[in-house]
Amino acid sequence: MPLRTNENQLVEMAVCGNISQPSLRYPGYIPDASGTARVLPGMAGVVYNARVGDPAFGWAGDHVEPGVSIANPNAAAEFALHYLTCIGNRAVVTSGLAKGAEGIVTGEHARMLVDFGPETNELLCVGDTVQIIAHGRGLAFTDYPQIELKKCSPALINSLPIEAIDDQRIRVRVTMELPPRIMGSGAELNSEYVDQDLMSGDRELMAELGIDQMRLGDLVVIPDHDHRYGRGYRKGAVTIALCIHGDSIMIGHGPGILTLMTCPEPAIEWVIDPGANIATYLNIREDL
Amino acid sequence: MNIKTNKDKLVQVSVMGQIASPGFPGLPAEPYRLDADGRPFLLPTYGGIVYNVSVGDSAFGWLADTIHPGVSISLGDDTGNRGLNILSCVGNTAVVMSGAAAGARGVVTGKSGRFSEHVIIHFKREDREKMAIGDKIVVRSFGVGMELADHPSIRLKSCSPELLENLEISTSDSGKLAVPVVGIVPPHLLGAGAGLTSEGGSLHIQTKDRAALKEAGLDELRLGDVVALQDYDSSWNHGYFRGGIGIGVVGQGDSPRAGYGPGITLLMTSPTSGIEPVLTAGVNLKTLFNLS
Repeated sequence: MPLRTNENQLVEMAVCGNISQPSLRYPGYIPDASGTARVLPGMAGVVYNARVGDPAFGWAGDHVEPGVSIANPNAAAEFALHYLTCIGNRAVVTSGLAKGAEGIVTGEHARMLVDFGPETNELLCVGDTVQIIAHGRGLAFTDYPQIELKKCSPALINSLPIEAIDDQRIRVRVTMELPPRIMGSGAELNSEYVDQDLMSGDRELMAELGIDQMRLGDLVVIPDHDHRYGRGYRKGAVTIALCIHGDSIMIGHGPGILTLMTCPEPAIEWVIDPGANIATYLNIREDL
Repeated sequence: MNIKTNKDKLVQVSVMGQIASPGFPGLPAEPYRLDADGRPFLLPTYGGIVYNVSVGDSAFGWLADTIHPGVSISLGDDTGNRGLNILSCVGNTAVVMSGAAAGARGVVTGKSGRFSEHVIIHFKREDREKMAIGDKIVVRSFGVGMELADHPSIRLKSCSPELLENLEISTSDSGKLAVPVVGIVPPHLLGAGAGLTSEGGSLHIQTKDRAALKEAGLDELRLGDVVALQDYDSSWNHGYFRGGIGIGVVGQGDSPRAGYGPGITLLMTSPTSGIEPVLTAGVNLKTLFNLS
């Protein structure tokens, strides 16, 4: 049975954005770890062949954003899109050939990431408007106030196999642990905004720890990391996060990790489950 | 110093900035920032002329958020400011070009990162008292492009020839560059700035966990202290990499925010352990440059 929440007090509200055009800063090069200049796709637009459930590593791409990326050109509306949208929210195409098609929010990076599935993707055009039924801001566990939820929709929370251990602790399924020393870009941002990249530059370490097996949409745990107000090291804290974008060739970057649950004390335990992925929990992929 | 460089080939070029005003977000935004526990705080932060905090003072204990010692400059134009931030090197001479302090000379002591991108300069207190926000300051930038002939794995960043000469560096018996430092920062205590540029900006020691900070021997750092970064490669950005090692200088003070604390301006980096930090008390810009 799902844990009790304050779900019935939450407001559902529409926010919207437009499908983004990928953009590059002239001349488009980024350096890899050896200093070699590369030009790679990955961010923005409609990504046809990477979805949640697919590998986060191994693409000839950088920061690959699965599915469809949307943004709002008005700065204040854009922040509303970022701060109100939650993972698992419903999205509806409101203009263009795919008008009426429904999708599910799977991540937040520089833009909001929505999975519509391959058939709808074929009909989408850059600039098409997508409306999200934002639902989840304010969500909290009734019996575990020491655990803060971020960007969790009720749909997501109710789909996760979370166990109550006792009146202080819960147990969550995750695919892997990320050591705090590899948490990188994003530490400078407030933790209500986008994600933090794990630093994948030490390729041997990624293989040793099995982090290179990460899939887009995986749930992961970062022990000793407190993400309540910023993202930082604190012994005993626990953060549960979601892999929202793919790996990067740049030093200090790697797959993007979005905070879902965080607590400053050890109130969350975890069990490793290779199947802990939102593609399954939210019934996004029937082919997996 | 017995270290060979190409400094006779380096170009010296002016980069200009103006003394930056402190800033706050406009209405109706809250003026508060949040500390790591979510408590709002309202304190002085980066920018401006700071009269009573200088290189050599403690990096901790000030009622401030990542305070810059001395004088902070920037240029309104984005690309021009990037030129200022990237080409200025720690140890470069800065000269006041306008206002009542015109002619006063200072020394670049650090840089700040994303969201401010200032160059931080030490001037004598009596010169600071004559200065006004907006005064023009030229940095005689000198150092970008410098290499160490016998240490090809090491990249120098924001490091002036003057600083390199003043640091008591040497080549160790194992062929590494031995650099005296007051502390070594473990990678789990490096926060904001990771993944961002290492050609300028700052990488912050995160200090929320005071026990971990003390355990690492970093709780008494001073502004201007030279420190090492363990298991970090900052060749093309700052990032975790086992065996990588960096050298930097504490450019800014502590912060109440999560992921933040004293900011480090990178000076050297080697992805292959080509640097050997040697723990030495008192390695600080104040003494290295005889700053008053």
